[in-house]
Amino acid sequence: MPTWNLANAQHLLARCLFGFSRKDVELALSMSLPDFVDKHLLADKALPPPPDTWVEELPKPDNFVVNGQRTVLASNWWIGLMLNEGVSMREKMVLFWHNHFVSQIETVTFPQYMYIQNQLFRQNAFGNMVKLTKAVNIDPAMLIYLDGRDNQKNKPNENYGRELLELFTIGIGNYTQKDIEEAAKALTGWQVNGLKSVFNNNRFNTEEKTFFGKKGNFNGEQIVDIIFEQAETARFICRKLYKEFVFYKTDEVFVEEMAKIFRNSKYEIKPVLAFLFKSDHFYQSQFRGGKIKTPTEFLVGTLKNFDLRQNLDFEYLSRASQTLQQFLFNPPDVKGWRGQRDWISSTTYPTRNVLTDAIITGKQVNGRALSFRVDILPYARSFKSSEKAAEFVKETSQYFCLFELSEKRKNDLLETLLSGTIITNWSTQAAMANTRLEAFFKALLRLPEYQLC
Amino acid sequence: MDRRKFLENMSLLSGSFLLAGLPTKAWSSPLMRSLEGTDDKILVIIQLSGGNDGFNTVVPIEDSLYYNKRPRLAIPKEKALKISSNIGLNPNLTGFEQLYKEGKMSLVQGVGYQNPDRSHFRSTDIWLSSSDSNEFKSDGWAGSYLSMKYPNFPLESPTHPMAVQLGSSESALLHSHAGSMGLVFESPNAFYQLVAGSQADNDAPPSTLAGDELKFLKQIASQSIQYRDVVKTTGEKGKNLVTYPNSRLGQQLSIVSKLINGGLQSSVYLTILGGFDTHANQADAHGSLLKQLADAVLAFEQDMEKMGYGERVSVMTFSEFGRRLNENGSLGTDHGTAAPMFVFGNSVRGGLVGKTPDLSKLDSTGDVIFENDYRQIYASILQDHLGMNSRQIKEILGQEYKILPIYRSNIMASNPDLEFELKQNFPNPFNSSTTIQYVLKKSSQVKLSLVDMTGRQVSVLAEGTQSDGGYEVVFNGTDYAAGLYLCVLEVNGKRSSRRMVLTK
Repeated sequence: MPTWNLANAQHLLARCLFGFSRKDVELALSMSLPDFVDKHLLADKALPPPPDTWVEELPKPDNFVVNGQRTVLASNWWIGLMLNEGVSMREKMVLFWHNHFVSQIETVTFPQYMYIQNQLFRQNAFGNMVKLTKAVNIDPAMLIYLDGRDNQKNKPNENYGRELLELFTIGIGNYTQKDIEEAAKALTGWQVNGLKSVFNNNRFNTEEKTFFGKKGNFNGEQIVDIIFEQAETARFICRKLYKEFVFYKTDEVFVEEMAKIFRNSKYEIKPVLAFLFKSDHFYQSQFRGGKIKTPTEFLVGTLKNFDLRQNLDFEYLSRASQTLQQFLFNPPDVKGWRGQRDWISSTTYPTRNVLTDAIITGKQVNGRALSFRVDILPYARSFKSSEKAAEFVKETSQYFCLFELSEKRKNDLLETLLSGTIITNWSTQAAMANTRLEAFFKALLRLPEYQLC
Repeated sequence: MDRRKFLENMSLLSGSFLLAGLPTKAWSSPLMRSLEGTDDKILVIIQLSGGNDGFNTVVPIEDSLYYNKRPRLAIPKEKALKISSNIGLNPNLTGFEQLYKEGKMSLVQGVGYQNPDRSHFRSTDIWLSSSDSNEFKSDGWAGSYLSMKYPNFPLESPTHPMAVQLGSSESALLHSHAGSMGLVFESPNAFYQLVAGSQADNDAPPSTLAGDELKFLKQIASQSIQYRDVVKTTGEKGKNLVTYPNSRLGQQLSIVSKLINGGLQSSVYLTILGGFDTHANQADAHGSLLKQLADAVLAFEQDMEKMGYGERVSVMTFSEFGRRLNENGSLGTDHGTAAPMFVFGNSVRGGLVGKTPDLSKLDSTGDVIFENDYRQIYASILQDHLGMNSRQIKEILGQEYKILPIYRSNIMASNPDLEFELKQNFPNPFNSSTTIQYVLKKSSQVKLSLVDMTGRQVSVLAEGTQSDGGYEVVFNGTDYAAGLYLCVLEVNGKRSSRRMVLTK
C-alpha cells in the first residue's frame, strides 16, 4: 500500500482532477487513500442540469451563427463543471471518453447532439465499457460524425466500422480489412430522427456476416460483444488509461495486470481505476511531474491554484483553451488529442505564458481587462510563510510545481520576488509588495516546470 | 561515441556551452558567414490530410471501369481538364492545368507502398517517417534531412529556423533524433508578440522520465525565443509580388513567400490542408478543396517565378492514401491505397511520371496496386532538388530508392551555370575519418581545404588542375581537435562550403 502523504496526494489529485486547491489536498489527506479513492474520486453523482433549454430544440437548417454561439455555451458549461468538480474525477473521465469516442462539432454541426453525447459519457463515466460502446454505436452525434446514418445495407460505408475497431476498442493490427467490412454491414439500419437515433429494419443488412471467425446475422450490439471477447481489447483500453493517468509510455507488465482486472470485472471501469490509484506503481516517484498538462488542466488548474471562483469569464477560458489547441467538442480528428508533447510547440508554449500572465494581472495582451484577477496580497497572505521570502518561495513552488524546482530555480524566483529589496526587509505589508508578488507568480507560472503535473 | 550520445552528453540547450573547450558560437566569425551559402534550396510540403481521392483528382477519362465503379461520383470525360490522351484533371484544378502546360508540374502516378495500411493515423505515420508498412520509425524524413544538413544541432542552432510549419501543433514530419527541427506559428507578427516577454534558460534538467519532458519543454521555449526576431524581420521585409487567394492555404503560402522573399533561410516549409476524408457526399467538398489547393499553388509558383526563385523553391503535395475505386452508398469513397502526387517548380521536368493505374488489376479489397514507392519521390527530391548524395539519402530514408525523372535529371544538368558541386561529407559528425565528394563539370583549377572556426586554414586536401568527373577525398581527423570545421571547395575562383563536425 502506498504511503499517503502530501507528495502522493498531490500526484493523485493532479492526474485525476483538473488541478487542485490546497483545500482539496487537505480533504484528501484527512482520510485513508482507499477511502478517498472509493468515496470521493470514484463516487457516483447525479447528472448536472443542462446549460439551457436549447439542448432539447430540434435542429434547424441554416443556423450557423446560433450553432456557433451554443457550442461556446456548451463549452463554458463544461469548463464550469470542471472547475466545480470538487474531488470527483468524473469530469476527467468525461473528457477521457470524449477524447476516446471522438466526435467533432465541425462535422456534427448541432451542439445539441454533442451535449447528448457528453451526458452519455458522464452517465457512464465509471460504468461498463461494453454498455457504453453499444450506446456509442447508435449515439446520434456519432451516427452523423462517422456516417453511420448513411451506411447503406448493400453498399456499406466503412467509416464507423473501421474506427470502432482501430481507435475505440481493440486497436490496429488486431483485425482484418474483412472484419471492418463485415462490421460495417452489421452496423447498418440506424438513422437520426430529430435528436434521437432510430432503427429502420429495411435498411439493415441481414446477410450472414463473418466477424473474428464467428458467423451469424450479427447486429451492432453483437459485434461489440465479439470485440470484447478478444483478450486484446482490455489491453488496448488499459494502455490508454495508463497513458492518461500514469505516463505516456506504457509499462506493459502493469498494463497486463490492469487488463486482467478489467476483463474479470466484465469491463467495469471503476474497479480498474480503483486498482490503479491504490497501486504502488502509480506512485513511483519517476512518474511525478512527468505529464505535460492538457490545456484544460492548465487553465482550470491555474484558477484552482489561485482559488479564483468569482466573476469568472468562462468564454475567455474556453477561447483560451482553443488557442492552446484543446477546442472542447472539436478534437483535431477521430483519433483525438494526442496529448503530452503534442500540446507544446513554439507557438503554444509562449501562448501558455501569456495566458497565465493575464490571469495573474487581470489584463489580456491587448490591454483589455478580464472580469477576474488574482487578489494578490490576500492570496499571498493565505500561505503560512508569506512574511518569510525564502520559505514563501519554497512553499508556493511546492504547491504550484509537481516537478521539484532546483535550488538555482528557487534562488532565481527569490530574486524576482525581492527585486531591489533585501530579504530581511521583505513583507507583504511593504510598499510595492503587490508588484513584486505579481512578478514572482508570473515568473513561477512561466516556468517549464509549471507545464508539468 | 555515436552522435546521439554525443549530443546528450552536451546540453540540449543553446547558449554558453562549450564544445571540447571551444566556443560554440562559431557562425559569428565574418569569414565563416561569408563562406556559408545563403541560397540553399527550399522545399515546401503541402499535406492533404484525410486521404485525397486520387481518381477524382487525376481522372482516367478513357477507362470504362472508372465510370462503371463510380456511377454517381465519376467526373465526366467532357468536364475533366484533359492533359494527356487518357488523363484529365478535376475541373477545379485549372491552376494545376496551367502549371502542367508551362512544364512546371511533374505528376507522379500510382504512388503508394507495399502492404498498404488503410488507417489514417498509421498510414500518415508511414508517409511522414518514410517507414515500411511493418516498420516503426519515430523521426520524420524531413527532420532526418535537416539533422543531416545541420549535424551539430541542437548543440549548435543555426541563426535561422531550419524549418517552418504554418499552424499550431508541430508535425512529426519535422521531428528528428536531435529533437524538434521546426518552428511552428500562424503568422510572423503574432509569433513575435507571443514570445516577446519570454526569457531563455540554460539549466540542465535531471535525466529522469520527467526530466526528459522538462528538457523537451525547454528546447521548444528556447527555440521560440531564439527565432522571434529573425521571423519578425524577414516577415516584415518580405513582399508578395502576386495576389494570393483568400483561402487558408492561400494565406499560408503567402506567408511562406514573404518569409522567403524577406530572406529567411529555412529549407523546409510545411502546411497542412485537412478535410480530404470524404466518406459521404464528397463531390462538392472535394471539389472546393482541390480548387483551394490549385489556386493557392498557382499563385505561389507565379510569385516564386517573379522573385527569381522558381528553381530554388520546389513544392510537393502528399496525402496518406488515395480512396477506393468503388464509390460507397453514401455518395462518398472509403479509404484506399495508391494515388497521384504532384511536384512543382521551375526545375521539374514536367509531365507525367509512371503509368496510369490499371483498374482491372485491383487487390482483394478493390484498391489499386501501387507502381512507384512514395520514397522514390522523396529520394528524387533529396537528390535532385536538395543536393543530397546517395549515401545520405540512404541514411535519411533507410534504404536506397530508384530516382524518378521528376527533376531535369540532376542539379548540375538543370543549372548550366553550375560548374562544380561539393557534397556533404559522410559520415558527419565523424570521429576518425570522413569522405568528401565533389563533382567537376569541366577541367578546372581546384583547391579543397579545411577551415576551422576562426577562419584559419588547417589543411589542404587537394590542389591543382583536375579534369571533369567525380572525386572522393578521405579526411583523417585523428590529429585534429574536436570541433566544427568548414570544408571549402574553390573552383576557378568560385567557392562552395559544407560544415563538418569532428567528435572525439
